[in-house]
Amino acid sequence: MSATGEELVRVDDLTKSFGSTRAVHGASFGIAAGEIHALCGHNGAGKSTVVKMLSGQETPDAGAIRIGGDRLDLHSRQVAQRSGVALVDQELSVVASLTVAENLMLGDLRAGWLNRRRAAGPRLRALLDNVGLGHVDLDQPLSELGIGERQLVEIARALGQDARLLILDEPTATLSDVESEYVYAAVRAVAATGRAILFVSHRLGEVLGLCDRVTVMRDGAVVATTAVAGLTIDSLIVQMLGEAPHRLRKRTGREAEGPAEVLNVSGLSVAGRVDDFSIGLRPGRVYALAGQLGSGASEVLRAIAGLVPAATGDIEVDGVTVRPGHPIAATRAGIAFVSNDRKSEGLFLDKPISWNLLATRLPAVTRWGVIDRQRWSTALTRLVGLCGLDGKRSADSVRSLSGGNQQKVFVGRGLGRSDVRVLLLDDPTRGVDVGGRAAIHVLLRDAADRGMTVLFSSTELEELLDLADVVITMHKGVVVRRHDGDVAGPVLLREMTHGAATPAEERR
Amino acid sequence: MKPPSFRRPEASLPVAALVLTIIAFVLIPTYTDTALSSFDVYNTLQIFARLGLLTLALGLTMIAGEFDLSVVGTYALGGMLTVQAGQQHWAWGLLAALGAGAAVGLLQGGLIARLKIPSMPVTLATYIALLGLTSALSGGLTKTYANVTVTLWVDQPVLTYFSPRSLITLGLFAAAAAVLSLSRWGRELRAIGGDRRAGRVAGVRVDRLIVGTFAASGVLSALGGSLLSFSLGSANPDPGVQPLIVAAAAALLGGVSLAGGRGHPLGLLGGILAVALLAEIVAVAAVPQYVSQLFFAGLLGIIVVIDAPDLHSALVRQRTRLRPSHHPRTSI
Amino acid sequence: MNVMSAPPRSDAPIRRPGRSRSRAELVIDAVLLLAVLAAIVLALTTHRFATVANAKAILTSASLVGIAALGLTLITIGGSAVSLAISPSVAAVGMIFLSAQSFGLVPALALAVLCGILITGVQGAIVGYAAANPVVLTIAASFAITGIATGVSGGSTVSPTGGGYDRLNATPGGVALSVYVLIGLALIVQWTLRRTGFGRSLYLIGENRRAARAAGLPVGRTTAVAWLAAGALFAVTAAFTAAFNTSANVNLGGTLTFDAIAAVLAGGTPIAGGRGSALRTLAGAVLIAAASDILLLRGSSTGVQILVKGVIVLVVVVLVHLRTEGSRA
Repeated sequence: MSATGEELVRVDDLTKSFGSTRAVHGASFGIAAGEIHALCGHNGAGKSTVVKMLSGQETPDAGAIRIGGDRLDLHSRQVAQRSGVALVDQELSVVASLTVAENLMLGDLRAGWLNRRRAAGPRLRALLDNVGLGHVDLDQPLSELGIGERQLVEIARALGQDARLLILDEPTATLSDVESEYVYAAVRAVAATGRAILFVSHRLGEVLGLCDRVTVMRDGAVVATTAVAGLTIDSLIVQMLGEAPHRLRKRTGREAEGPAEVLNVSGLSVAGRVDDFSIGLRPGRVYALAGQLGSGASEVLRAIAGLVPAATGDIEVDGVTVRPGHPIAATRAGIAFVSNDRKSEGLFLDKPISWNLLATRLPAVTRWGVIDRQRWSTALTRLVGLCGLDGKRSADSVRSLSGGNQQKVFVGRGLGRSDVRVLLLDDPTRGVDVGGRAAIHVLLRDAADRGMTVLFSSTELEELLDLADVVITMHKGVVVRRHDGDVAGPVLLREMTHGAATPAEERR
Repeated sequence: MKPPSFRRPEASLPVAALVLTIIAFVLIPTYTDTALSSFDVYNTLQIFARLGLLTLALGLTMIAGEFDLSVVGTYALGGMLTVQAGQQHWAWGLLAALGAGAAVGLLQGGLIARLKIPSMPVTLATYIALLGLTSALSGGLTKTYANVTVTLWVDQPVLTYFSPRSLITLGLFAAAAAVLSLSRWGRELRAIGGDRRAGRVAGVRVDRLIVGTFAASGVLSALGGSLLSFSLGSANPDPGVQPLIVAAAAALLGGVSLAGGRGHPLGLLGGILAVALLAEIVAVAAVPQYVSQLFFAGLLGIIVVIDAPDLHSALVRQRTRLRPSHHPRTSI
Repeated sequence: MNVMSAPPRSDAPIRRPGRSRSRAELVIDAVLLLAVLAAIVLALTTHRFATVANAKAILTSASLVGIAALGLTLITIGGSAVSLAISPSVAAVGMIFLSAQSFGLVPALALAVLCGILITGVQGAIVGYAAANPVVLTIAASFAITGIATGVSGGSTVSPTGGGYDRLNATPGGVALSVYVLIGLALIVQWTLRRTGFGRSLYLIGENRRAARAAGLPVGRTTAVAWLAAGALFAVTAAFTAAFNTSANVNLGGTLTFDAIAAVLAGGTPIAGGRGSALRTLAGAVLIAAASDILLLRGSSTGVQILVKGVIVLVVVVLVHLRTEGSRA
């Protein structure tokens, strides 16, 4: 174990299951006082569940959490805060309608009932300066700040809570390099005062540059805890992936000179998220955008689907320009979109499977606006068969289905239609089990074989390698590289987590 | 320290509404034959006292992202209890009213916070039930209050312009403003109204705050009803829907939003004062009633436009379209 | 005929056959069953309740609120919560209807429906296309409508300019015409919601507006059409109310706004949208009318009747919420 200091935080045999899935089992690691400890792992490895248990948002099924030797029962956010755990949540958790100062004081237990805004001024000012927000006024409404600056305010709030354990869950995912540097400096300064820091990140470069030790998780279990001195990006990737990554893609890729391009995107930009993205897609192929949270992959898909009003650039389907920012125009042009948030932006959970499958093709199953039972059931039977769903359950609500089958319904909505030319899917197998994942991959491959153009975003190496004919890696809003032929998993992961390699880094 | 930005609707709306109505009020002599007297100011403040606490109660729940339609029911019940329980001594009536208001608020807040039910249907049901209860208590009749001393006391002019009633109402606005500015509740109330999930993650005790807000709303509305009963010397079992609509309009003019997370008691004060001034102008200048209604409609129309999200998207799209577009590039 | 025996949840929009019910659902169903049984016992032991004449009285008193509530049902299912401008719209349209009597009944009715569609449709277009908050918008609209109506009428009461309106007060077969109209309209609205593409879209948009938008459904147009139809139904209510009162002023609507909301909620339609039906609203309106009727026959005061109405709405709101949440657990 490391010799940075006495162990301040100790996690033993932490276990948590959700229903039948074991999210975390037997996770153990320790963080020394003054240590910056990284928690790494691929998506679904169990990192967020560990963070939730440490911050009082989930209660462990078994295992112990100790801080300073005392065993703690962290059953709510307030208890966790009182026990000295500060959190920067994965999701932005500052309130846009409050001022910067109010956000900094929100939930601060030492603040007392009295609002000591003025007395706290210098301290809050120092907190902001600390994370590089010297230009931000304390009394400015948060809504006037950009996303990156809001994230920095949340980090400043956690830094200021004087906690024994500070958890940062992907704090830099939405930050620029300059902003990230401020965060690193501030985190180092907090660590120097003898606190323990748990730093969750997908960016392996910053993990190696900032942290003292790395705990890697895979499939809910801790693989190893290693001092960074003995690690390189590639050895870290091996720990995260196990023996999997050396399988090469078997697909040879269809001939590059296929039929004319269906979707043509040029100069697509979303301020602060995506910079000058261009792509041309041919029918009958599956394309993938590989990128972590904050890479811009998700925004590219949303912008093409007309869901980002502030997007600029040209989008053409079959040579016809699509009016940007209008989802109905995108749908008419033949673009179908499967959001990464199927619960709030995808399915109608309380409605029957049949309603969900046919939601986007009501004109095709109605006659004079009245639902034609014949057409309805014909279309339904065909789709249910196509998606491999149980036809007897088509009157059940979608909510009653498993995650995998819910996703099949969502994807199925865009299938089996001649008027859909391009199918966009944002992380299509998020929260889907292995069986469901394979079934969705078959659906997408079939759709491409029938002449549809499929473009999906993903962070899953196996998915990228198995499914895509062409993989485009993205990092921090720009395209890193386009891979038309074979590519090795570690190369993709490296580009997703680290961007384009500089010569100096190549030697590492 | 920078002064509060007037681009923010919670500041600009009440200021604009108040300035407009004050100008119209001061200019009364120029467009009518009536001269202004100190009595007109006194009267404005009496109108303010009648609806002020209702506006404050409704406004506080709106800041927390809820909507308490039951305020008028509590207002009616408070007024009736004040008369019926206070025939011996005014204090008993007042206590009964405040106790009932607190109980109604705690019940509703508990239901809404614990069961996570939207507040509008719950408070609408309570509103109807409370009106029924008030009517049942009084047999549907207006009850008169025999204690003339109290009636005379609450409306006696103080410092020319005020009465104990309007001073109490003003004092409660000041108290609410002080509490929300000087304690952590102010920011926490706006936090749970603006983004409940973020508030919870940051460590705000959301449920307690909601229950507390509804209890405060109940007590304030009941007190508003009590003061009105003292003033009129009687209690009416059915105040009608007009007070609710006017209080909601005043709260919206006061800069709170139905989406929650925005507003301050001083803004609410500005909103209800504007409404009271307008009512006084209508009375003094014999302006047709419909003009003031169209005025409200116009102001609320502006609020609707400010708050409509898809209108914003359309504007962002337009702005983006006007920027010079990129040259087509070769595909990667 | 015993109207109380109709269980309020008999037409739940989604049947989940073959799915075991959760304990919460069972408890709630048991509570509901007991309540219905208690109401039946109470009703049958009430003197003169189970008579044909009394059933007619209940239906008649439910009819005007019921027609307006059908319109509100469309608004609520489509996810636009409620309109707080029902009473002013009804008052304004009622005034127009009576002033137009000199043209004859049918042209006057057509004009009234057209005006109703226009008044409420404009609000619907703003809610649908700009995603304006329906509550704030309809508060503004209620000021605007009352203001314009007062300005145009000079604040006076409008008297009919012809006698055609009286045909709306007919009682064919001893039952008020408005009852037939209520039942006919309820069936039409029910059919539209169940069997047309518009109805399907409305349920989908009401349940999840964001998802509907992302799926490319015509959110703005569907919402606007729902409000247009609601405006037509408000206009029908207005014509009957004005005909019944034989005069109309800006207070014609009375407490209709909240009565209509109460009927929709008592029928078990959640305010969040995406669920509910015309028949449920009909049941809600009849339930409230029947409860008031029992209390009236047993000699309770108006206050107690209103109190019970509020309690019924509260209980249904809480139970429907718990049951929905229970089935989601």
